[in-house]
Amino acid sequence: MCTGRVDPTMIAEAFINDADGVMVVGCHFGDCHYITGNVQGQIKVGLAERVLTYVGLSPKRVSFDQCSSAEGERFVKLVTDFNQGVRELGPLGNGDGLPAPELKEKLSIAKTILAKEKLRWVVGKFTVFVTEGNKYGEVFTDHEMWRTLDTIVMDEVATHQIMRELGQEAVAVKDLAARLKLPAPDVLRYVLALQRRELVDLDGVEGNSPRYKAVGPTAQVA
Amino acid sequence: MSGKRVIVFGGDAAGVAAALQQAEAGMQVTLVEPSPSLGGECLPQTRIIDGDSPFLQPDLEALRSHPNIEVITNAQVVKTKSANGKYSFQIRRSTPRVDMEKCNDCKECIRVCPIHMYDDFNEGVGFRTAIDYFNPETAKSGEYNIFKEDMPICQATCPANLNIRSYAALIADGKYAESLAVIRQRLPFALSIGRVCPHPCEDACNRGYVDEPIAICGLKRFVADYEMHNDIDPPVEVPEQFHPEKVAIIGGGPAGLSCAFFLAKAGYKSVVFEAMPEPGGMFRYGIPEYRLPTETLMREINWILAHGVELRCDTRIGKDISFDELQRDYAAVFIGVGAWTGMTLRIPGEDMEGVIDGVRFLRDANMGKKIDMEGRVIIIGGGNVAMDAARVSWREGFDEVHVVYRRTRKEMPASPWEIDAAEDEGVNFQFLVAPVEVIGKKGRMTGLKCLKMELGEPDASGRRRPVPIEGSEFVIEAENLIAAIGQRPDIKFVPDATELEITRWNTFAVDQETFQTNVPGIFSAGDVETGPDIAIRACANGRKAAFGIVRHIEAKRREAA
Repeated sequence: MCTGRVDPTMIAEAFINDADGVMVVGCHFGDCHYITGNVQGQIKVGLAERVLTYVGLSPKRVSFDQCSSAEGERFVKLVTDFNQGVRELGPLGNGDGLPAPELKEKLSIAKTILAKEKLRWVVGKFTVFVTEGNKYGEVFTDHEMWRTLDTIVMDEVATHQIMRELGQEAVAVKDLAARLKLPAPDVLRYVLALQRRELVDLDGVEGNSPRYKAVGPTAQVA
Repeated sequence: MSGKRVIVFGGDAAGVAAALQQAEAGMQVTLVEPSPSLGGECLPQTRIIDGDSPFLQPDLEALRSHPNIEVITNAQVVKTKSANGKYSFQIRRSTPRVDMEKCNDCKECIRVCPIHMYDDFNEGVGFRTAIDYFNPETAKSGEYNIFKEDMPICQATCPANLNIRSYAALIADGKYAESLAVIRQRLPFALSIGRVCPHPCEDACNRGYVDEPIAICGLKRFVADYEMHNDIDPPVEVPEQFHPEKVAIIGGGPAGLSCAFFLAKAGYKSVVFEAMPEPGGMFRYGIPEYRLPTETLMREINWILAHGVELRCDTRIGKDISFDELQRDYAAVFIGVGAWTGMTLRIPGEDMEGVIDGVRFLRDANMGKKIDMEGRVIIIGGGNVAMDAARVSWREGFDEVHVVYRRTRKEMPASPWEIDAAEDEGVNFQFLVAPVEVIGKKGRMTGLKCLKMELGEPDASGRRRPVPIEGSEFVIEAENLIAAIGQRPDIKFVPDATELEITRWNTFAVDQETFQTNVPGIFSAGDVETGPDIAIRACANGRKAAFGIVRHIEAKRREAA
């Protein structure tokens, strides 16, 4: 299978189904049968790695490498090294940012946002933006694209965690912030943005704090 | 209808009410609103009466359907003029990036937009997306827009508008050659500017609000140095064929060489006439060796010359070759001779031996001439030329170096790091002191009579004006005086018959877009056009002039055809 076909959700899925490491090995740049398949592959695996690392996975558990069919020795070395690294960490939840049950829950959020259009569309535009540029002729660097993606990852993880909580019951921003371990002003911003998008609505006021609740068909999906 | 026209600025509730009132009275009303939709900003939380909507709901239906009201949103007034009791306005409308005819208000774009920004409609309390409506109440009429910011503040502040965002990011990626190529799209002097620029971009940098600004100038120096120290030959990219027209460039300084560089890129050969024995202008003769080594500068100049630029040194216009000859032989003439004449102090005794002006002192020091002065030296002035002169004189081995400035350290126009460096090296600073008279014996200076000052009201430049304290005269003993109080261009080489328009600062008046003077075919940029200014502005304007020259030559060619 071409590395360009490896969907970021597949990597998240593997971890949810108890894999301890995912290694993607593809052709060298310039050797691609589909010309730029491996370039896309590197970006997609890179995105999955960023999202999973952000929610708490150890970066040693995901790798993207390149190796041609004539480089048997190299392939053995890559696999041995990666295997060694994962073995040193142990099963999922060891050497990661979170213990296994919490990590699993976070991984399912990671899978959800990797399947959503926001990140996927930016990833689809990645190579276009760094080579030809956007509609205004501005060409971006890899560095800037990843930085943009990083903020989107942060937004998406926070938004989906909020939607998950608000889908179950009406919560005040203060309590929500405590549950998600995020600063309250940021949580308020995300909630107001969701309200603007008509995904969240005011449920009522308890004391001095307004409580919000998810509305609409997306409440369950998120 | 009276036929009178009224313009209303701002489309909030009050603006809309005023527009309606005027229209009812029979006026033709134009309503100009800077944001994409009418209705003004959201009410702050503290002003909402319980149960009320935070959104003001002016009578927008009436406004839109009124025949006498024209609404211009997303627009700003850029110029106003009044004459004979009438006003005229120039209005600039920002690009609407959403086709309102096709938008059916499905809100799908908002759901998927990945870029968030602070909701300025609601005092930045929440987030909104880059594509959004401004006012949710009026959005029902479909006033969507994509909010796109202008160029980054550093790029907007840089006189050359260098693409700082890109080249800094490329350095972060480790792509040094690409980064340098981005700089060289707009500036040929990456090495030199990286060393000498007072970097206004860093003063404007937003990162400065968090901790300290990005070291933009240092980054530029780093990539340029990386290339130099690794002996990588910078690429020379010129068109395969040059056009037959040639351009004469007077002055081989930052402006002249930048102009020649971009002319070569556009396919025009040029000849640079330089009065001094070596090219570089103020880079070579104004900036001391310790700030910009000649070897480094020459590397850059040689690379520019490799683009097919001819250089004729020791050629002074008006002496070795006449100005009329240039006008006759070349398709266009560019004047970038800089500002080399030091301003005089206008105090008695100034013609005494031992008194010299700052630019001349620096030029002699840079030419390696034996400085025929010794003892103590006083430098008058607070700019970078004064700092350079002070630090050079310290290196030349004067016994004592005094800098005399009539305001305080805070008002000094020199870069603060230069002042600190001078102080560290042992230069004495005397603030709030103004020179009154140079005193001496038998035409040889022995001291400077000064007057103490105090700061009064701010003047036109915004700095507090120094006011003399009566009877506070004192004498600083010194054998030498360097006056670094400003420079003026010397433009005597241009014959009077050319009828060039000259400003009262002895500079050329040019069109700010093409940099053409009032005489077609004569262009000017650099210090001779702006007055003494920073090097990057000279480079930037030299580049703009190159495009002006190209346009001029192409227009002439079309005329002839």
